[in-house]
Amino acid sequence: MNALSGVGSRRSKLVFAGSVYLALIAMTAVFLFPLLWVIGLSLKTRLQVFATPPLFIWWPTLENYVGVLSQADFLQAFVNSLVVSSGAVILSICVGVPAAYAFARFPFRGGSFLFFSLLVMRMLPPIAVLVPMYILFSKLGITTTRFSVILAYSTFSLPLVVWIMRGFFEDLPRELEESAWVDGASRYAAFRHVVLPLIRPGLVAASILSLQLAWNDFLFSAVLTNNATRTLPVLMAGFSGGDTGVDWGGMTASGVLVILPVLIFSFAAQRHLVAGLSSGAVKG
Amino acid sequence: MGGTTTAVRQTGVRTMQGAASGTSGMRRWLDRQFSRIAVLPTTAMMVLIFGIPLLFSLYLSFEGWSPDQALFSGAFAGTANYEDLLTDPQFLKSLSVTFIYTATTVATELAGGLGIALLLNIDLPWIGLFRTALVVPMMITPIVAALCWKLLLDPDHGVVNYWIGSHIVWLGRPDTALISVMVVNLWQNAPYVAVLLLAGLRSLPSEPVEAASIDGASRLQVFWHITLPLLKPYILVALLLRTIFEFRAFDNIYVMTSGGPANATMTLSMFTYLASFVRFDLSLGAAASWLMLLMCLLLCLFFIAVIRRREAN
Amino acid sequence: MTTLKRRALLGASMATLAAPQIMAQSKPEKLVYVGDNGPWHWVMVEEVAPAFEKATGIKIDFTLLPVDPWRARLRAELGAGSAGIDVVQWSVGMAGWISPHMEDHEPLLAQMKSRHADFDWDDYLTGTKKAATYDGKLSGIPYRITTGIFHYQKALLEQAGFSQPPGTWDEFLKVALAVNKPPDRYAFGIFGRQGAGMFVGFNPWLYSNGGRLLDFKTGEIFINDAKGVEALQFYADLVTKYKVVPPEAMTWEFDEIVAGGQSDRYAMVQMFAPYGTLINDPKISKTGGKWAWTTVPGPHAKAEGRTWIDGHSLGVPKYTRNKEWSLEFIQMACSRQWQKRAMERGNAPPLRSVLEDPDMIEKIGWPPVAAQAIETGFPTPAYPVWDTLEIQLRSTLSQTLFGQKTAKQALDDLAGDWQRSLRRAGIGR
Repeated sequence: MNALSGVGSRRSKLVFAGSVYLALIAMTAVFLFPLLWVIGLSLKTRLQVFATPPLFIWWPTLENYVGVLSQADFLQAFVNSLVVSSGAVILSICVGVPAAYAFARFPFRGGSFLFFSLLVMRMLPPIAVLVPMYILFSKLGITTTRFSVILAYSTFSLPLVVWIMRGFFEDLPRELEESAWVDGASRYAAFRHVVLPLIRPGLVAASILSLQLAWNDFLFSAVLTNNATRTLPVLMAGFSGGDTGVDWGGMTASGVLVILPVLIFSFAAQRHLVAGLSSGAVKG
Repeated sequence: MGGTTTAVRQTGVRTMQGAASGTSGMRRWLDRQFSRIAVLPTTAMMVLIFGIPLLFSLYLSFEGWSPDQALFSGAFAGTANYEDLLTDPQFLKSLSVTFIYTATTVATELAGGLGIALLLNIDLPWIGLFRTALVVPMMITPIVAALCWKLLLDPDHGVVNYWIGSHIVWLGRPDTALISVMVVNLWQNAPYVAVLLLAGLRSLPSEPVEAASIDGASRLQVFWHITLPLLKPYILVALLLRTIFEFRAFDNIYVMTSGGPANATMTLSMFTYLASFVRFDLSLGAAASWLMLLMCLLLCLFFIAVIRRREAN
Repeated sequence: MTTLKRRALLGASMATLAAPQIMAQSKPEKLVYVGDNGPWHWVMVEEVAPAFEKATGIKIDFTLLPVDPWRARLRAELGAGSAGIDVVQWSVGMAGWISPHMEDHEPLLAQMKSRHADFDWDDYLTGTKKAATYDGKLSGIPYRITTGIFHYQKALLEQAGFSQPPGTWDEFLKVALAVNKPPDRYAFGIFGRQGAGMFVGFNPWLYSNGGRLLDFKTGEIFINDAKGVEALQFYADLVTKYKVVPPEAMTWEFDEIVAGGQSDRYAMVQMFAPYGTLINDPKISKTGGKWAWTTVPGPHAKAEGRTWIDGHSLGVPKYTRNKEWSLEFIQMACSRQWQKRAMERGNAPPLRSVLEDPDMIEKIGWPPVAAQAIETGFPTPAYPVWDTLEIQLRSTLSQTLFGQKTAKQALDDLAGDWQRSLRRAGIGR
């Protein structure tokens, strides 16, 4: 829908456009400023950080980034985040996509109940599950391992994956699979060779959202990991008090490095994100 | 599209003709069971990793306190834990804090998100740039966002105090602490709502709007009487999603205030966290978790019912 | 510290560790140390651990967490019987639930003595030995003893006409009102954040006034008696009525209160004795060299002043596979030479000879005051139910400090909360 169409003189259209741009610029400034300021802090020395009045123009320095990257525990946390996030995404995609296909194409008895309970599970507060999950994992002896975190994250992105992919599958015309079945292929084969290649945008959307969920989680990782296996958000939370509370440069440099991968990844696949969000959201 | 379909179909068929052979009896049975087999791993995972802990948590919530919190060692305590919670002033306070927090953040996120979406929906040159820029806060790790705002709100060196020329200790006063904590989530999630509503706006049919403008309606009238009602399903979905997320918000409070000052930011999730992992009173934490769960469930069912009713209309 | 001195320390450490044949266990690559992140670990992290690594080739992997996560981590890992921790740093309040997971250190004492002649168990203050023991079992070697004393900037008091630090509460109030110069510098800093520091900020006032917490055996609650109410009202009035406390102190916990002293935000404070080193060091503090110390004032007479005792011990858990090496590291960290060095950088060792060393007293200043305070101090409760009671106390204190309730209302409500919690724990009726 285009608000610019319709009746109105040329001049009023220009005035309207002008005020819209103004509003947009103001909004962008407000929303991006905090992030830009934090990036700025990461490029300042300790003295520059605490200068009063705050400096808006200064010579940037990379010493904070060097400091952070030369610390073994940051790199280790980074690797842990990578392992845990990709593990969770792969697991939830492999498990959830076939289920979504089944929900979309082959309604079966109890199917809608199952789908509904999946949705409900998505809505539950994670902390409600955290305590008993932690006890269960400690009985199994897997607390402090990355595997426990991968399992936990998968259960949270699974309903999301199923929800989104079901929407994409429903959008797919049935003729393709039907002709494959007519030709004598099994449902599994049809799924693998006909449907999957066409569903790639949906897979990308679901992957990005699962990745964000896993990469950004703090609570579960804080409880289920120890120093060796902790992920980046847990490392970052350590900055909220204690010795390092005054090391703003190091804190902000770490923060920027933490959000960078997901930012890059999300920008690269942005179109799919919007499609995924809206498809799953409304059709559910 | 037709060309691609045929090509896909041909390659697909060729690959599958190989796969179609084999013991047909077994194959056919497996084929019929496709849905159930496809759904099995998902069900198994959710039941084992989610469902069982949930049930165990229910059991724990009826168990008494024991000093080392070994499992199954506490005596059965009936509803004692729930009674303790409902008579605990700190728990009751956390209920009201959570309610205020959720209602305020969701309302502002919806209003803000709608405003942003309306602006982004206008087809002006370079609008794509703005669309990309405004989506950024959404992707930031919540812990990092909270730390970011903690620095911005620092009483002596933060930029916010510099601009408004004051020395307000944002996180040190009960009145301003809750607002500070809310601002973080508002900043991050108004764009999220905007993305949802923008998708909705772009999928709306254009005929009603064109018809109305030809009839001489002003932009405001068009918005209020045509756009908004058409957008209702999307707004309701955004409402549902945001309510769920804000009800259980944790990261921002943990980093900035840990529930203080004077319990001003003690939400249900913070209370449950303290009970379970600081006081290590796991059975009380379990009871608190289940109460939280029930409340969230009721809220969601309420919203879903409203959405269903709207769709039916 | 001169290179010469450091080398001497290093040499001494290597000599003490030069009996590798005693080590029956195979050498691990590293030892995992879990402790809190208070501002006093520098010597252990920056000097002892490298020296240990040089002598043995074993790295020390330090996990230093804020108070609540540190407790939670220990509870979680030790509760699960995990072998993932080699050296446990635990504090007095944890003794109740942690001692079943720790080795009995009594027999280990003899072992330590036989290997390192200068280890003198008699040099340890009696109070700290008791604090490291729960239910008759010695669960660690005391490393740090803390007590709350009164720190003040001598010159500022003299300028306001007070040649002596306040001995009674009335005097204290007079001094506070006189030196309070908002917004540049306030009179009194406190632990204002609703967190782990609230309790130690308040309890000297409670104890000095003759108030008590509760009886853990019978479940009888004393905190809301007249003395407790009086103490809390006085403490809260400092913030709400007399406004002698910096507003940002309401976000202060351990690091921030030290930073506040270093940046001259207050003239007086009641806090950990060893923090005195950190605020008095001209290299890191704007107010370096200006501080003096005394015991906390009493309500009507100086001798009535009472304070709290806490401390940290280093112990070997039952589940580690590197018991001998853990003990070696603990021995090294607790040795007299390294403790002397640690004291220069912010620690408070529980060793009489170090605390009474004239050199140390000359250089650092607060040890005699601390020793005096420890004589009559009250140790942090070690009963497991205290965790819950403390959380509820934090909430009460915070509400009172913001003037949301009067001290009487707040403490009466707290007594009700405590009664419920004690009932849950099966204590009393």
